[in-house]
Amino acid sequence: MASQSEYPQSAPAEDTPMEDLSEIDNDEPLVEEESMFNDLRITTLPGAEEGSASFEIKGEDHTLGNALRYIIMKNPEVEFCGYSIPHPSEEKMNIRIQIYPEYWETTKPYDVLLKGFDDLSDLCDHVTEAFTAAKDAHGKHEDK
Amino acid sequence: MPSSTQNIDQRRVVGVEAEIVTNVTSTDFPGHWPNEDHSWDINKFKQSFKVVFHKNSPLFAEFDLIHIDASIANTFRRILLAEVATLAIETVYVSNNTSIIQDEVLSHRLGLIPLTGDKAALRAMKWYTKAAPGEAARYPTDEDTIVLHLRAACERLPGAKKSETDPDKLYKNHSVHARDLIFEPAGKQVQTFAANPVRAANPDILIAKLRPGQEIDVTMHCVKGIGQDHAKFSPVATASYRLLPLIKIKKPILGRAAERFAACFPKGVIAFEADPNTGEKMAVVGNARNDTVSREVLRHEEFKGFVELGRVRDHFIFSIESSGQFDADELFLSAVATLKAKCTYLKRDTQRMLKKQALDARSGRDQSRLKRGDRGWME
Amino acid sequence: MSDQRESYQPPAGGAGRSYAGASAASGTMHYLCAECGVKVAINKGEPIRCKECGHRILYKQRTKRMVQFEAR
Repeated sequence: MASQSEYPQSAPAEDTPMEDLSEIDNDEPLVEEESMFNDLRITTLPGAEEGSASFEIKGEDHTLGNALRYIIMKNPEVEFCGYSIPHPSEEKMNIRIQIYPEYWETTKPYDVLLKGFDDLSDLCDHVTEAFTAAKDAHGKHEDK
Repeated sequence: MPSSTQNIDQRRVVGVEAEIVTNVTSTDFPGHWPNEDHSWDINKFKQSFKVVFHKNSPLFAEFDLIHIDASIANTFRRILLAEVATLAIETVYVSNNTSIIQDEVLSHRLGLIPLTGDKAALRAMKWYTKAAPGEAARYPTDEDTIVLHLRAACERLPGAKKSETDPDKLYKNHSVHARDLIFEPAGKQVQTFAANPVRAANPDILIAKLRPGQEIDVTMHCVKGIGQDHAKFSPVATASYRLLPLIKIKKPILGRAAERFAACFPKGVIAFEADPNTGEKMAVVGNARNDTVSREVLRHEEFKGFVELGRVRDHFIFSIESSGQFDADELFLSAVATLKAKCTYLKRDTQRMLKKQALDARSGRDQSRLKRGDRGWME
Repeated sequence: MSDQRESYQPPAGGAGRSYAGASAASGTMHYLCAECGVKVAINKGEPIRCKECGHRILYKQRTKRMVQFEAR
C-alpha cells in the first residue's frame, strides 16, 4: 500500500517533517537551505495583506482546487475562499483566502491553507477506513 | 410510505422539476445558516460518512458514498481517471510490418491495450523519465521498463479448397490478438513477475489482420504513466457517480392511475400496495435507486401535484469499471491515497515556502526576490 | 547510347550494409512481383522480370531496419 501514495509529480522522495516556523534559527546557514527551496510547487502571489492572500500552486487543477476550496470554506475563520485556473494551457492553480478581520491577529492565510491540507488528509484517512470496512463486510465476487 | 428516502432533510434534496432544477448548491458552510455550526469537524464526519457496497468484483465496483460533498466525490473521480498510475506500452520499435495497418496506427493501437500482471511488482515499478531535449538518452532499466514482443507471419494453409472463403481454413495466423504479446522479463523481473507475467488484460483484443506473406515483428517498451499524460494510462474504463434519485408521492395514486403512474418510471421503481382504507391498488415508491429521473411523470396532467422528483445531493452512487490492471476497489483506495499524498507534499512545500520567505525577509539578502513579489505578506 | 545503358552498374550492396531483400555480400536482391506476389531474386544485370509469371513490375521490399514510434 505504501507505493500507492507515491505521487507522480512529486519532487524528492525523502520527506522530512518541517520544524515549527516560529523557531527559525537566526544562525542558520542560508546557502545550505538553498537546495530545499528548489522546485517549490507553491508561491504566494503579490498583493497579499494581513488577512488575505492568494497562492499559486503548480501542477494542480480542479482536482485539488475544488476539494481544497471546500475544506477551507468549512473553516469558520474564513470569509472567502475561491480558486481559479487563470489559463488552461498553464498548469497552475490559484487559490484565494480571506479571513474575517476578528481573526487577523491569531490566524494568517497560510495557517488556513495548512489547516486545509491537514483536514483534507484526515478526511482521506477516514474515507480509506470506512471504505475498507464496507468493502470487507460486503466481500468480493468474480466477474460474470 | 415504506421507503426510507421519503422523510429526508429538505436541505439535502436537489429538486428536479419539468424545466428547472432547484436548490442545487450545498449550503453546509459556516456563516450560511444563523446559529448553526458547519465548521469542519473530523469527528462529525466520522459519524455521518457512510460507505455502502452494492457490487464488488475485480473489474467492477458499485458503492454509495453518503454524506460527503460533491467537491470531494468529484476529486476522487477525477483522480481515478487521470492520476492513478498504470503500465502501458509507450514506445514501439517496428522491425517489420507488412500488414495493411500503418506503423503509427499499429503503435497507437498497441499503446491502448490494457495490460495486467503481478500487482505488487507493477506498483513497485519506478517512473521512467524521458531525457530532456539535448540531454543524453536515459537507458531503460528492469525497474522502470517492461519489454514485450509481437511476432506474427501469415501463411496459406495447404490443401484448402479453391472455393473456400473461411479465412480460418485458408490461412494460418491471419488474426493477431493481444494474447500474442510475449513478455520478455529482464533482470529481477524474472522473479517478481514469475507467478503473474505481464500480459494483455483482455487476450481477445484484435490488433491486426494479416494475409499470406504479411508479417509483423515489433518490440515494445512499457512504462508507468498517468491518465493526465495519455488516456492509455487511465486505470479505469470509466469511473462515474450519480446522485440517488428521490420520488415523493404527495397524494395517494390509486387503481388504474397507479398503473399509469408506474409506467412513467423504469421497472421496479414504483411498487403497489393495498390502500389501507379501501383496499384499492395504490402506487408506492419501490426502488428509487433504479430511476433515471427522466421526468416523464411530470409531462402528465393527471399527476400534477401528486409527485415531486429530486436527487439527494450528498448521496453518491459511485461506479468504477477497471480496465484490468488493478481491481476496481483498489483503484478507489489508490485515488484516496493520491489525494492524501498531494496534501502531504503541498503542506511540506508551503512550509518550505514560508521558511524561505522568513529567511528572505530577515536577511533582506536577495533583492531580486523582492521585486518578483514572492514575499507577499511577509513584509 | 545503348551501350551506355547496358553497362550501367547498379550500386552493389556490400561493405557491411544490408538492404532489405539483399542477401549478404552477393549482389542478389529480392523483390516482390506485383502480379503474382512471389519473391523474385534478381542478380545484377538480369532483366527486371518475374521468374514465375513474366510480369515486369516488381516491388521493393520494406526495410528491415528498426523504426521507432511513440504509442500515442
